Amino acid sequence: MSCAIWEERVALFAGGDLGTAEAAAVERHLSACAACSALAADLRLELDGLRAAHAEPLAAERYAAVRGRVLAELANPPRRRVVWAWAWAAALAVAAAAVLVVVMRKPAAIPPPEPPRLVAIVPKVERPAPPERGSNRSLRSRKRIGWQAEAPAPLGKVGQTLSSVNQQVDPVLSRAVEDSPVRMVQLATADPNVVIYWLFEEKGEER
Amino acid sequence: MKTLALAAVEAGGEPEGRDSALEAARAGDRTAFDLLMRRHERLVLRTAHRLAGNLEDAQDASQEVFLRLYRNLAKLDTGNLAAWLYRVTVNVCHDAQRRRPATVPMEDALELAAAGGDPQQCAGEAERRALLLRSLRMLSEKERTALVLRDLEGLSTAEVAGALGSSVGTVRSQVSKARLKVRDFVERYSRRRL
Repeated sequence: MSCAIWEERVALFAGGDLGTAEAAAVERHLSACAACSALAADLRLELDGLRAAHAEPLAAERYAAVRGRVLAELANPPRRRVVWAWAWAAALAVAAAAVLVVVMRKPAAIPPPEPPRLVAIVPKVERPAPPERGSNRSLRSRKRIGWQAEAPAPLGKVGQTLSSVNQQVDPVLSRAVEDSPVRMVQLATADPNVVIYWLFEEKGEER
Repeated sequence: MKTLALAAVEAGGEPEGRDSALEAARAGDRTAFDLLMRRHERLVLRTAHRLAGNLEDAQDASQEVFLRLYRNLAKLDTGNLAAWLYRVTVNVCHDAQRRRPATVPMEDALELAAAGGDPQQCAGEAERRALLLRSLRMLSEKERTALVLRDLEGLSTAEVAGALGSSVGTVRSQVSKARLKVRDFVERYSRRRL
């Protein structure tokens, strides 16, 4: 059994692939290790055998056959290749035409969506009293009640943008809204099926 | 030890830096291209034979190599034609083998070798030669290529690395593993026969 850590170096040594210093180190090891020395001898034997097995020259006809086939193909490219070349060219032409049609029929650029329009600001008029301790109502259901307004009371004009509403709303009403802890803002979008409800509750922080 | 430069001199006798046949072939001279093939056909067919393991596949590979040579004449660096041919031969053989894997697992290779053993050959050199030829089949593609170029074609480790686009360290590792596997294969086969 040879030494595993030396095997690779012995294999390189057998083929003359080591530098002087490395080869000297392997030689020292081989002189002390019979197993690795046997491995080196085997490796040299197999290498010599491999070279001998592959040394047999190939017949001249083999070379001539290759040359003949190459020159024949250069003189007359196989039809198969020509057909494939035409097939590729046709496929590319079809693909290019398809791309052209798609580009030509491309619709005009989609306009950017309109900004949401303010429809109403509904203050909460009455906030329900907090549930008694031990009530089985969930926090979520309590919050939902808190957000419900008694009646929608549009404050801004339909079509106003959100950024301009503070300046447009009546100052008295605006103050009333500000006093309410829960408010709802209804915003309309360009899509009539999409309406944005913005519910928020002020915590009494100073502005 | 033969080097690529020596291979080039053996191939044509003319310094590759001033290769008139190559220049003429570039200009479209088919006779010059035929001469170019004659110069390098041994390198190409022999290497392909060693990599592919049979002459029919090796001839197909050689044909493809020379067709690629013709198509790339204008782009070739004349100083490295032998290295280019080795690289393309290896690539063509690898492509062919990927379409039809030729690597045989060690156990299968031993079975094949045992099955192919003729009673008359058992103790003879012919059997040993056949065994060694078969041993290349159970190496991985990269190990076989490194072994063929280094030990059978006689290129230096650096030249093998250059032809394969690899590092010297990688080639050394592949060569040493390949040698150990060949030796292991022969040893196991010999043990089985006893």
